Formats: sequence, structure tokens, C-alpha cells
Amino acid sequence: MLDLLQQGFGAVFSLNILILMFLGVAVGIVFGAVPGLSATMAVALCLPLTFTMGPQAGLSLLVALFIGATSGGLISAILLKIPGTPSSIATVFDGGPLMEQGLGVKALGVGIVFSFLGTIFSIIALMFIAPQLAKVALSFGPHEYFAIAVFSLTLIATLSAGSMVKGLFAGTLGIAVSTVGIAPVEAVRRFTFGLSELNGGFSMLTVMIGMFAVAEVIKLAETGRHAARSKVGSVSMKHIKGFGFSLREFRQELPNASRSGLIGLTVGILPGIGAGTSNLLSYIVAKKRAKQPETYGKGNIGGVVASETANNAGIGGAMMPLMTLGIPGDTTTAILLGGFLIHGIQPGPLLFVSQGPLVYTIFAALLVASVMMLFMEFYGLRLFIKLLDVPKHILLPIILVLCVVGAFGLSSRLFDVWSILLFGLLGYGFVKAGMPVAPFIIGFILGPMAETNLRRGLMLSDGNFASFFTNPIAATFLGLALAFVLWQLYSAMRPRTGVLGQVLRT
Amino acid sequence: MTTANKKELIIGVAMLGVSATYMVMAYRLPGHEGIDAATVPFLLAALLSLLGVFQVVSAFASRTQPASDSSAATQDEPAPTVIEPATVLKTLGLILLYVVLLGPVGFPIMTAIYLYLQFIVLTPVDRKIRHLPYAGIALVTSIVIYLLFREAFDLLLPAGLLNFL
Repeated sequence: MLDLLQQGFGAVFSLNILILMFLGVAVGIVFGAVPGLSATMAVALCLPLTFTMGPQAGLSLLVALFIGATSGGLISAILLKIPGTPSSIATVFDGGPLMEQGLGVKALGVGIVFSFLGTIFSIIALMFIAPQLAKVALSFGPHEYFAIAVFSLTLIATLSAGSMVKGLFAGTLGIAVSTVGIAPVEAVRRFTFGLSELNGGFSMLTVMIGMFAVAEVIKLAETGRHAARSKVGSVSMKHIKGFGFSLREFRQELPNASRSGLIGLTVGILPGIGAGTSNLLSYIVAKKRAKQPETYGKGNIGGVVASETANNAGIGGAMMPLMTLGIPGDTTTAILLGGFLIHGIQPGPLLFVSQGPLVYTIFAALLVASVMMLFMEFYGLRLFIKLLDVPKHILLPIILVLCVVGAFGLSSRLFDVWSILLFGLLGYGFVKAGMPVAPFIIGFILGPMAETNLRRGLMLSDGNFASFFTNPIAATFLGLALAFVLWQLYSAMRPRTGVLGQVLRT
Repeated sequence: MTTANKKELIIGVAMLGVSATYMVMAYRLPGHEGIDAATVPFLLAALLSLLGVFQVVSAFASRTQPASDSSAATQDEPAPTVIEPATVLKTLGLILLYVVLLGPVGFPIMTAIYLYLQFIVLTPVDRKIRHLPYAGIALVTSIVIYLLFREAFDLLLPAGLLNFL
């Protein structure tokens, strides 16, 4: 492992990759910090830039964007009291009050340092666990893959915000849209309306660019002209030593941080729920375990530590199912999957066998990007604060143009530009109907995987469905999926009392 | 029936509409003998319809508005948001025009025009429309993106009318 990691670092420490990653982390932080822009959007929009790069450079850039954007959310959470991304909601609870007490720099410093620690912790966990998981996954056949795909879909559909019916509908609709194109196994054309462009189905990227970026522009059109402008708080960086907090405070927060890191990692591994849930969950746990719980919500740095450690620990967690099984845990890793595929790399257990050096290059890139994030985010803070002021009515139209460029760049055809428009409208419709987008995306990605493996599994067992239930691993996952739906139904029937239930629903 | 329930009902009907369309299309697929390429679409259509029915039923069943929004995210944002359908339609029109003319007129010209008009449409009510800076930003962005992708990333965006350059 060490020599592979050494090779990985060797690949990352070339001048052009380092420059790319530097830019990636910076752009990522901006996307994370500006409310309305997200990590998913950052990766989607920068993907076209990587088309002509090699896989090492391309993936390093995407990974850098991912890390920057996940952490960047804390800037607006503390300065504007608006979470830049859902993963920083709990950061606002104590970050906001700290800012009001004039301790903004301290809150930012704590947030950034523990973001860094959370990321590093999860990447190290990823490096040790993922290869073992891949070894197990090597023996998986169609039955297991089908069951895991169904399990992941159920999890994301039932846990997404809003009603379970809508979540399940969104997920199913995603699979339905993925059936467009040439069918697996017997290669029948389905739902192509005679358009040859649709033979390959809708491209994953056009679906995501449409649903996330184009829909966002349309959404701004609806309310943006009347939105109250938020006031960006100012922080003074004078007389700041280190990261603005003392070593004693750091030591005091270590137990809290390790707990939150574990929560973030575990929640991150589960498909469907990620940083958006774990930051709230670990905040609640931290508050419960604190010596003075009443100070939480009034400016206790513990709140910032819990939230930021947990959401960044989700990075390594979410990368685990992506790299070992090819199953994205959330929408950001979904688009990373798109990035892998564009560079001709199929994530899955074989990745560790056939592309060992590349895997460790990704690990090295994750580590280097985290270190870059630590220093850039704190010492470049004033620059990022300025960027928060860029008016939305200028920014979002430019993003739309970049979406068009990205869609066109996929295969140089205007058809893909029409697709993003179509999915932009669909995404806007989803927003209006209160339907979560994430299950749709994951359904769209896992749909073909579920169908292909269902068909293969049935062929292996001569059309006998029972083989899915006699296979122990497949049966376990299918059983878990069923149990989960039933549990959700049960808890929907009775009034919600548990804090956990509330967190999972938000 | 409350407004919230009506909205949920409309959503349910839309869900059923989508399911029915998909069901009809799935029926028209060749096959339907044993397990084939039409099986999964058919199962999906059935599931979609079922969920659509659930949604419609729940719209009738629930009397009170479900407290769906998390209190966490909207802590101190009491200001009611003004919704402007006209701006949405204008934006959609602009995007449509942009995509239609992207091929024939070309990326550089259309992007500059689109950006300029879209900036104007989206300008907040409490701000002045500043034509000169808008036009400047639109033009520069368009040229920079076009040249950047052409020279650095080998992506030839449609040149359209400027093809002779």
C-alpha cells in the first residue's frame, strides 16, 4: 500500500496537477460559500474542462472541487448566517452567535481546522477500508448488485426531505427516465421516439446539469428580484495567531470531534443520506454530551466543531461505495461517477485490481486538496468574502452559459443542450411540487444497474425470482430495504417525537 | 379543502398523468412474453401509478397542512417571498431563444445577447439597470469562454455567423 501511495503522491506532485488542484479548491470554496451554488454544480460545470486532460489530472481537479465546496459552506454559514449548502445548517446555530459576539474569526478558524481534520480522518478511513471492501465486493454477482442497488434506492427515496411517496416517486421516475435508449440484454430500442440521439439514453451529465444548475437559474427568476440582499459581516484578520483559537480549546474539543467524525463517516457511507443529515445529527449528539448543553446555540465553538467535522468526514464515507461498488452515495459523488466514466474508468471492485496506481492517486489528491483547503480557506478568507458579494443576477446567467458549454462539450451536439433545458424544466417542476431531486438522480444512475443485474440474475437462474432470496447477501439487502420502508411507514403513521426521526426527515 | 391540499391534489394528478403516459409507452414496446425488455418499464409504470394514487388519496385524507419545512433552515427569515411568474416566463423565453439560435447564429453572438438581456430581466427591483456594464460583462464573458474552450480545451463551440473568422 505504501509504495502505491508513494506513486500516487508522485503523480499529484507535478506542477500542472498542483496548479489545477489549487484552482479547483478555490473555485470549490466559492461554490460552497455562495448560497444557491453547490458542490454538485461545481463538479458538473468544471467537468467539461477535464475532457482533454488525462485521468490523473482530471480526477485530481474534480476531487479538489469536491473538498473545497464541502468545506466552503461554513463561510456563509458563519458570516451570513445562511448555510451555503445543507451540510452546514448546524454550523449556523453556533457560528452565527459567535459572529455576533465579534468572534467571527475564531468560529471560522475552528470550522476550517475541524473541517480539515474531519476530511483527513475520513480519507484515512477510506484508504484502509475501501481496499478490503473491494476484495469482498469482487465476489459479488448480479444478485448482490441488484439487491444493493434496490437497497440504496429505497434508502435515498425514503430518507429524502418531504413525503415518502414523493421521494419514492422521484426515485422510480429516475429509473423510468434511465430506461430510454437501447435496452440491456436484448438491445431493443425503448422510448427513443425514432431519435438516433436517444439510442444511448440521456447522458448522466445532461440530467444533472439540467436538474441542478438550469433549474437553479429558473428558480432565481421566480424570487430573486425581490430577495433581500444579505449583509456580509466583516472580520478583521489583524492580530490573529495561528487559526484564531488556543491549543487548550483545541484539546477540549477533541472528544467531540472524534465522535462527530465517526458519525459523519458512518452516515456518509450509507447511500442516500450524507453530510446534510450528519451535521445535524452530530450537533445534537454533541449538545447532549456537552458539560454545559445550555451554551449550545449561543455561541459555543463545540457546535461548529461537531457540524463541520461531521460534514467533511462524509467525503471519505461517500467515496467508499462509489469506489468499491460504483454506487454513488449522494448527488456530488453521482457526478464524480460521471467524471470517472468520462475518463474511461469504471468504479467498482475491479478498479482496485486493474487501476491500483490511479486509485492511490485519487487518495493522494484527496489528502493534498485537504491541506490546500486548510490554508487557502483561512488565509484567503477576505477574497472569498468579496466573492460572496457578486450579485446573483450576474452570476447565474453566466452559470447557465457554462451549463450550455458543458452540455455541448459532451459530444459536440446541440441535442444535449436541449436535454439540459428539458431537465431544467423538470427540476423546476420538482421544486414547485416539493419533490426531492436526489432520489431522481440516484434512480437514474442506479436504474440501469438494477435492471441489467436483475435480467442477468434471472438468466442465471432460468427466470426464477427465488434465487434473489436464497442468496444470503442479496436477501439481506432486499430484506433491509423492505424493513426500511415498513419502518418509515410505521413512523409516518404515528406522531413524530424522536429527534432522530426529525433530523432524518429534514 | 385547504389550498395546501389542493396543491397536493394537483401534484398527485400530475404524477398520475406522468405514470399513465409512461404506462402507455411501455405497453407499445415489443415483447411482453416472459421477462424481456418491456418487463422493467412495465413494473416501473405500475409502481409510479400506485404512488400517484397514494398521493391523490393522501391529499384528500390529510386535513391539516403537514409541517414539512424544517425550522432549522428557516430560522430568521420571516420575510415572505414574492413570486414572479412573469420573470420566470421571460427567463424561459430567453433561454429557449438562446438554444434555438445557438446553432445558426453561433455561440459568441448569441451568448453576448442572451447574457445582456438575462441580466436585465433578473436585475433586482431595488437596483438600477446599468446597460453599459451589463453589455461589457456580456461581451467579455462570451469572448473569454469561446476562446478559452477553443484554444485551451479543444472544444469548438458553434461559430455560426462568425464562421469565416
